[in-house]
Amino acid sequence: MNMSEKCKQHVDSCRFCWMCHHICPIGNATGHERSTARARALGISLVNRGAIELDEIMDNIYECCTCGACVHDCTTGWDPVMFTKEVRLRAALENKLPEYINILLDNCLNTGSAYGKTELCDDLTAALKVHADKTDILLYLGVDARYMVCKQAVKAIKVLEDADVKFTVLENEPASGAQLDFLIGAANETKEQMTACAKALDEFKTVVVYDPNDAKAIKQTFKEYGVETKAEIITYTAFLAKLHDEGKLRAKSTGKTVVFQDPYQLSRDLGETEEARKVISAFAELHEMLLNRAETVWAGNILMAEYLPEVINEVSARRLYNAESIGETAVVTACVSEYAALKNVEQNEIEILSIEDLILD
Amino acid sequence: MQYQMNEFLFAMILTELEDAVGKENCSTRAIDKVTHSVDYYWLSRMWADRGCRMPEADFVVCPKDATEVSKVLKIANYYKIPVTTWGAGGGTQGGAIPVAGGIILDTKRMNKIYEVNTDSMYIECGTGAIYKHIEWAANEVGKATMHYPSSLTCSTVGGFLAHRGIGVCSTKYGKIDDMVLQMEVVLPNGDIINTSPAPKHAAGPDLNQIFIGSEGTLGIITKAQIRIFDQPEVRRFRGFLFQDMTGAFKASRELLQKFKPSVMRLYDEAETASLIKKIVGVERKGAFMNIAYEGVKELVDVEERILLETFKKYGAEDLGSEYGEKWWKEKITFFYPGHMMDIPQCFGTMDTIAPYDKIEEIYWAMKEAIETNFPQAKFIAHFSHWYEWGAMIYDRFIVDGKDVPQDPVEALRLHQEIWTCGVRTALAHGGVVNDHHGVGIKLGRLMKEQYGPAMQVFEGIKKTLDPNGIMNPFKLGL
Repeated sequence: MNMSEKCKQHVDSCRFCWMCHHICPIGNATGHERSTARARALGISLVNRGAIELDEIMDNIYECCTCGACVHDCTTGWDPVMFTKEVRLRAALENKLPEYINILLDNCLNTGSAYGKTELCDDLTAALKVHADKTDILLYLGVDARYMVCKQAVKAIKVLEDADVKFTVLENEPASGAQLDFLIGAANETKEQMTACAKALDEFKTVVVYDPNDAKAIKQTFKEYGVETKAEIITYTAFLAKLHDEGKLRAKSTGKTVVFQDPYQLSRDLGETEEARKVISAFAELHEMLLNRAETVWAGNILMAEYLPEVINEVSARRLYNAESIGETAVVTACVSEYAALKNVEQNEIEILSIEDLILD
Repeated sequence: MQYQMNEFLFAMILTELEDAVGKENCSTRAIDKVTHSVDYYWLSRMWADRGCRMPEADFVVCPKDATEVSKVLKIANYYKIPVTTWGAGGGTQGGAIPVAGGIILDTKRMNKIYEVNTDSMYIECGTGAIYKHIEWAANEVGKATMHYPSSLTCSTVGGFLAHRGIGVCSTKYGKIDDMVLQMEVVLPNGDIINTSPAPKHAAGPDLNQIFIGSEGTLGIITKAQIRIFDQPEVRRFRGFLFQDMTGAFKASRELLQKFKPSVMRLYDEAETASLIKKIVGVERKGAFMNIAYEGVKELVDVEERILLETFKKYGAEDLGSEYGEKWWKEKITFFYPGHMMDIPQCFGTMDTIAPYDKIEEIYWAMKEAIETNFPQAKFIAHFSHWYEWGAMIYDRFIVDGKDVPQDPVEALRLHQEIWTCGVRTALAHGGVVNDHHGVGIKLGRLMKEQYGPAMQVFEGIKKTLDPNGIMNPFKLGL
């Protein structure tokens, strides 16, 4: 396999290192050795040495959620996410992607979303019409909210409406490239999608990004791939915190005692941990669960549930256990995809809320 | 043991194993077999580094509890298939490598924390739990396991039990075999047993201690009650520099007759000048020693006074608390790639233990034996687990990559020869095969040399419990 020397160095450092074994949300959920960063590195190193074929490890390469818990945990700076994404790219270039990934990829390229959906729900369509006119502020919803959890997208719009914000939501919102980046890394197609997105965002002075996955892509990955944006980019949670500071959220106590599920994209990648807490604390009594802020544990998402539904369900269930174990009544999420994954877990112990749910309660 | 596999039998056995643990938890995929074939053992790593594939299991099964383990062992016994238990693969002795093929039984699905009992101060958990996870569970209720080895985050409860592991606070809180109350074990015939409800009894020999350290050769430990402790009110550190190790041994022996610190680590001059200089920042000649003492503040104040008085008598220079605190913060950093020895170097840790009247002699004898017979090897050591009666040596040999044969068989031969030389020297001077990394396949051949006719006790237990010899063959010298 044609890998960069940098990635080979990281692979060869991780292949015999077990130190992040405890932190992988997938590994902890499956209990399978192959789900660990070192196992993935070992497999890749053996492909590089001709001892096994790339096809034999590709399923395993797509079992990584790229949450970066292992990267964050590594004292010496090795990066399993980097080499995992590079192998995805190499496999795409060599036509060795698993078939279920090819389907998601084709959907991304043809429709902008891995789910292949183009129709919005009626409520969201109606809400978009209200905000079709051009303003200075764009609310960027992202494909997960638009096509898979549209009720939350509608609520996100409602929260801003209640705060008297004048904003636009695009009827035909371009994909941020975050899903392509997950599927095939730094491919030309990913960069093209990001470039088109940046162009659309630049029509606005400020872009409020609802989904942390898109926020990470736009604020961080765009730069890594040489894609520039002129608009001010702000995460939805940071925007809410700003509205709260300005007294526009009309804070009130819901009487709930909650914990916050930090989305890793905000806490680890963008260094944003307190904004959501500020907002949540205005509406509920906020406690902290095990592994919070930059130490957070990914709680699942919609995209991986497309091809690993049982594993993602177990990932979400384990994270809910952390919340339940300190006896709180609700867990609040700031990531629509994690919200959907957590809602999918069959349990009655704890309420699952988005920040919008809490504010609109 | 009879073990023959053909395509038909393979398919038959696969369906039975799938029935026992579920299809999704029974794999014959290359990625599963490969990742269970290389553990932290240098030979397996070298083999993979050379692009060779280690012996692999035919089946990888991940049972969720003792009942499923029992089903797997009954199948294995019927077909006489080897079963090798795998925790997280962090072992250094090749104990988890399926050298005879057959079944790898990965315990990590048995990771449930059943109970955190703050009345009797234990956590009951499945032995597939990563130890760090039970530490978190203890921390959530204000307690701690006090078992802090460098492999805390990457080894399972069962892994530590299987090879008698140890953590850095061992002097005060004990080894893993001191930290267990009751265990659930699945015997090779599939019977599920429980050891005594409490340790320290007089109801015959201690069943716990028969299975702890047995490395999966006598059964599979599936559940354990692990002790937890109150978090100390204070934990203090003090670094010292001794001119030589003799003074440090005398000082430490005297100190341990008075009280038990939690951490005691003495580094020889070579390791002080390398690892300690690099990570802790001590840039002085001599033997660095770090002591931690902890508990109720009033008692710790007294202990601190005793420590300073005792070490002063033996000429130790008090370096204050800074280096010790740095050491505590970085105690696991030592083992990350970039700090730890790694391929292409050839290396090993020959930890052994002995009473005070022999331990220093063993150190010098091993150092001389290794450096004389293998001039390409560097020998460094520290002494990290201390008792009232003796201490252990954590001694390492390191051969630079340029001096390690590229041919994997020749590299294996060099590795084996150095190990045999070092451990035989330890045995000849009153040491043991190993202190806390276990035996595995690496040192099995030397068990008879240590035990002599006493080995028949282990062999007798093995024959009785595992007459078909299916449990982790070629490990522990059994």
